[in-house]
Amino acid sequence: MNHENHSGSLYQGLVIFVILAFLTAVEYFIAITNASVLLLSIVAFIKVGLVMYYYMHVYKLAQEDDEHDHHSYAWKLATNRLGLWLFLLSDSFVFGGLFISRFNLLGFTRPPLNQFLGLIVTTVLLISSFFMNRGETQMARGDRKGFMLSTAITFLLGLGFLVGVVFIEWPNAAAEGLTVSGSAAGGIFYMMTGMHAFHVLTGLIFLVIILRNTARGHYSAEKHWAVEAAAVYWHFIDVVWIFFYPALYLIGKLM
Amino acid sequence: MNRSPGSFSRAVLFLFVGLLAGLGLGILLHTLTSGVFNATYFADIPSWMLGFLLGTLGFFYGLLGYFGVVRGLIFQVLGTLLGAGLVSAVRALLKTSFFDLATFGLTEPAWVFGGLVGAVAFLAGVGALSDWWKWARGEETHDHHEDIPGWRKYFGVSLDHKVIGIQYTFTSLLLLSVGGLFALIFRTELAKSGLDIISLNFYNTLMSLHGMVMIVSILVGIAGVINYLVPLLIGAQDMAFPRLNAFSYWVAVPAAVLLLASLGLGGFDTGWTGYPPLASRAPVGIQMFYLGVWVAGWSSILGALNLIVTVLRMRAKGMTAFRMPIFVWASLATSIISLTATQLIGLSFQMSMFQRLFGMPFFDAAKGGNPVLFQHLFWFYSHPAVYVFVLPGLGIISELLPVFVRKPLFGYRWVALSSIGIALVGFLVWAHHMFTSGMNEYLRVPFMYSTLLVAVPTGVKFFSWVATLYKGKITTPVPMLFVLGGIVVFLMGGLSGPPNATVSTDLHLHDTYFIVGHFHDTMFGGYIFPFFAALYYWFPKATGKRLNETLGKWHFWLMTPSFLILTLFMMRVGLLGMRRRIADYDPALGFDPWHLAMTIAAFGIALAVLIFFYNIYKTLKSDQMATGNIWNSRSPEWQVPSPMPAHNYDHEFEVVGEPYDYGLPGSTYVKM
Repeated sequence: MNHENHSGSLYQGLVIFVILAFLTAVEYFIAITNASVLLLSIVAFIKVGLVMYYYMHVYKLAQEDDEHDHHSYAWKLATNRLGLWLFLLSDSFVFGGLFISRFNLLGFTRPPLNQFLGLIVTTVLLISSFFMNRGETQMARGDRKGFMLSTAITFLLGLGFLVGVVFIEWPNAAAEGLTVSGSAAGGIFYMMTGMHAFHVLTGLIFLVIILRNTARGHYSAEKHWAVEAAAVYWHFIDVVWIFFYPALYLIGKLM
Repeated sequence: MNRSPGSFSRAVLFLFVGLLAGLGLGILLHTLTSGVFNATYFADIPSWMLGFLLGTLGFFYGLLGYFGVVRGLIFQVLGTLLGAGLVSAVRALLKTSFFDLATFGLTEPAWVFGGLVGAVAFLAGVGALSDWWKWARGEETHDHHEDIPGWRKYFGVSLDHKVIGIQYTFTSLLLLSVGGLFALIFRTELAKSGLDIISLNFYNTLMSLHGMVMIVSILVGIAGVINYLVPLLIGAQDMAFPRLNAFSYWVAVPAAVLLLASLGLGGFDTGWTGYPPLASRAPVGIQMFYLGVWVAGWSSILGALNLIVTVLRMRAKGMTAFRMPIFVWASLATSIISLTATQLIGLSFQMSMFQRLFGMPFFDAAKGGNPVLFQHLFWFYSHPAVYVFVLPGLGIISELLPVFVRKPLFGYRWVALSSIGIALVGFLVWAHHMFTSGMNEYLRVPFMYSTLLVAVPTGVKFFSWVATLYKGKITTPVPMLFVLGGIVVFLMGGLSGPPNATVSTDLHLHDTYFIVGHFHDTMFGGYIFPFFAALYYWFPKATGKRLNETLGKWHFWLMTPSFLILTLFMMRVGLLGMRRRIADYDPALGFDPWHLAMTIAAFGIALAVLIFFYNIYKTLKSDQMATGNIWNSRSPEWQVPSPMPAHNYDHEFEVVGEPYDYGLPGSTYVKM
């Protein structure tokens, strides 16, 4: 923790990104060697822990604000933060339900998907999380230009992820015989990726909003709740994918 | 939301504009689809119908458009047309069928998308989204929002938690009447064996909608009481997120409209549970039902989120966790369930919706799907949901009992924690609804024991109530009557529960009227009775006028015996083998006199509720004011004059003692 608004430093964000990228490679290695579900789960939980702590700053929820002034910015910020995290908790039950449905329907088998493409979109989303974190840190330091650039890159990578899943992976899977209505495997695959893609889309809309408002001179190093909220939401999308990627691509025998 | 009142001339103008626009649009579509213009199109009936629809909407917009809710409803119809038209247009361009007489003209995807766009359009029309739209555009909004004075503020967006609470409560009573009316219709059909009055499909639709309309009514009702009371009880000026609060209320309105719209789209025959595979071949009305519940779920989720943040962040000075009123504890416990589990019913309905729309075979065993999966997802919410319904009610009982017994609440800490206990154990019991569903057998016994475990925290509440009553100075004005009635009825519901939770007996009782009797007892004891107690008790706080005691006593003494007859007879015929959800039964079973008695009892309840409505009407018209602390309560909201001032308390109060130390000399709870 340092003096820069407790948002971590640019250097810290990079280190965490390198670890996350390494862990993704480890995941892939486990999948092609012994495909141990236990090991894959452990790696996924480590990744999620890192993202939640260093990128989403979950510890800020526990920060004391002994101010009883309900009109102060600090009080509102802490209140909004709690609201956002409760929303994410609620939302995670949708994804949890989908996750459990996938194992209920398919057990330890997995649909035939393009492994290369899966790894690419996962990497793209991970890099976007790095740039999102970088952008937020820059905003916290008052570097609005840097923030604009990092967030624009995040937006492009997010768009790339969306296009990769919806316009490349979906037709690709359908060509492999995994159709929407053909089997429960197809149904749950499109449902999981579709619900996730919908969240990516809403995340992109939030990014557009904060980019536009920054360009119009809103937000400052001290007051940028909207930026923080959009960033936390963006990382949450990444957290969901950290579980969905192994569930869809890595775990189980190819059906 | 200040808009000038409409005028009749403007309404007539809008009528003609709408008529011409609809007619023109119809003729344009005709020309586009056929490729040539033909003068006979002017005699085209669908175009005229569209014209009349838009004309009527225009008329009401001109006349009553200054009411947010009218604007919202008009927008909802327009949005539905727009969404459905969009899907139909895309389908027409793709050369797939875009017109289907079997599904009321439009195709099923068109109806579903139209319904969704309609719900969003309602929110835009009523103005629940306008501040957020401004925020997204980077504009500032006022922190302090002043309502228009008088009764008009209740028909549009207000950010005041008290106004929203009253809006919720009014909507709840409206839905209660609609759901009750449905019950009366099919109860009349059941009075005698044989199918006399309504068709099978209409029976099924009414029976299914009765369930879900009542559930939404209860969710909206508890949200009303929670919204009105919790900020007052904890000394907050408002909820933590006032705009989200308004959104949570207003999103429930189009949801209710969608639910009822299923009546017009062929209804559905699955019961309120909407199980596939039956749901996969129900009429298109089931989609409106699914969509309505899905939208209503957002009301519940976001309201719960708001409540949790409010309680955690906005309590008055000195109000530590164990000095919070029991009702606040109960609201918190309820909200924990609503916030999280509601997503699962939404997901299960969404998956079943998509199975119908896109053929995604989640629950189709022939394609590797699993129908039992739906039931797991569905009951993961729908069982804890009953604790969502009853916990606030049980909280109201614990809240009011000490006031009318003039004694401290027995075992305050245990009662406070029992709400949280019920909520948490409630997450582990869902599969007891599935003992006969063909789920894995090894799951039965663990779920049986976890279900029986719920009796422990519930028992704590009962012991507390009995011990509080013991040697108390009991007075019985109307709110106390409903509290005592609630305790008795909920006890009956509680005692009839374990036979359903025990696998061996449930195999016989499952899907019989015994279950119907059991859950009506829990719903009435845990919600309806405490809800009425709360209405009688806090009505003077909200309006400054006290409801008539004599009419209140009529209400109570008519409703309670009627209700007991209804559910006891339900349990009796259930034990003898009367199946639930069926429109007809064999006269040889000998159930006819019992069903007749139940129908008469149901009308008794309806009459009692009518007396209650008359009481409200009469009280609001009278000039007699009751502005003081009429119940002699220790709670902070009664220490200021009624009706509650617009911005609640002038000064923040401080909590200096225990909340329920009634009858102890020298004790104080709040320092105003």
